[in-house]
Amino acid sequence: MSAVGSSNPEYVVARVRARRGSLYGDEEYRKLVRMGPSEIARFMEESSYGAEINALGSRHGGVDLIEYALNRNLAEQFDAILDWSEGTLYDLVARYLRKFDAWNVKTVIRGVYTDADQSDVEVDLIRAGEFADRRIRRLLEADSIEAVIEVLEDTIYGDPLREAYAEYEETDVLVPLENAVDRAFYERLLSGLPDDEPTQQYEAFLKAEVDFRNAANALRLARSGADIDPAAYFIEGGDLFTRESLARLARNLDELVEYIADSQYADELGPALRELEEADSLIAFEHATDAALLAYGDRLGTVHPVSVTPVISYILAKEREVENIRAIARGKEAGLSADEIESELVIT
Amino acid sequence: MLEATNEVGNVALQAGGTLTDPSAAAALAVGLAALGAGYAERGIGSAAVGAMAEDEDLFVNGLILTVLPETIVILALVVVFIV
Repeated sequence: MSAVGSSNPEYVVARVRARRGSLYGDEEYRKLVRMGPSEIARFMEESSYGAEINALGSRHGGVDLIEYALNRNLAEQFDAILDWSEGTLYDLVARYLRKFDAWNVKTVIRGVYTDADQSDVEVDLIRAGEFADRRIRRLLEADSIEAVIEVLEDTIYGDPLREAYAEYEETDVLVPLENAVDRAFYERLLSGLPDDEPTQQYEAFLKAEVDFRNAANALRLARSGADIDPAAYFIEGGDLFTRESLARLARNLDELVEYIADSQYADELGPALRELEEADSLIAFEHATDAALLAYGDRLGTVHPVSVTPVISYILAKEREVENIRAIARGKEAGLSADEIESELVIT
Repeated sequence: MLEATNEVGNVALQAGGTLTDPSAAAALAVGLAALGAGYAERGIGSAAVGAMAEDEDLFVNGLILTVLPETIVILALVVVFIV
């Protein structure tokens, strides 16, 4: 609802736990992997995605229908959580959900940049963040990047975007704008958190996420050997890297792998790092970071039952479910076999 | 004002002392127990309503769990009869 008043974790946690029970489990995934796109859509219609599939069924079909239904369901569920939450709880949940605002801003900017159709951009938005529908409408109606920035003037993205705009005008690439959005999001994410025990666990989770993102970026840079300044892609707030250490480590893959293997994430990421060295594949590493985050998220939900952590845990599980179903549908479309698709899924 | 309170205190003490009177202490015990039960029911009640919003079938369970702390008030009421 809003950030005023006292927080009401009991109510939100009870609702979220009930919803968690209806997420897909192993069994459902095994069935989904063996279905075609239209069967998946029918299967979803009979579960919690029914309303969205029915609403979108007349306009879209096949894998697009699944994708849009997933996005809309995700947005509706997360919007509902924000609607229920009050006080500190609202603040803590909104911090994480603002990542969808960042995603929407980036999508709109990309749409303007490539002159995409307004309705094409609209279906790609995930309205789960804090932006009201009116602001999103105005964003969609903006016909230049300058206009987009104007709409965002009074949000946290206003100032960083305005600064990045000068650089964009010089170089005509979107990277500075997208970096500005990401950085504004991550700076807000970790600043001024309350200092109690559940929040500290939540913070540890957010930091791990930032660390993994930095590690994946650094590994990608180190492997490609491209002459890009790694410090420009550094995200503040993590524990593992500083701007300097990341810049140094990204030049040498072996050193970087060793550094991560010696860090506090050694237990979770060790096997994936060995695989990275042997098979030279980043996919395993990214899956390992995803699985580690998800496992941490699951644990998060049980230690402090009446706090923000079960809510965050549900948000993560829901996001993961949406990604898994999308991977199955897209994999089917591309003609991958059931085993190949199964290896792409992240299930705990 | 302060003097007035002192006065009231003195009168109360002369009348046998408010809290040393057994029935007054018993009343206080019941009151505190009810306060505790109310606080516990606040959390359970909002969780129960949340669960019911998701699944109507949980109404009975929610109701039972919500009134469970009420037992402590009944136990405290026993004190009233034994003093």
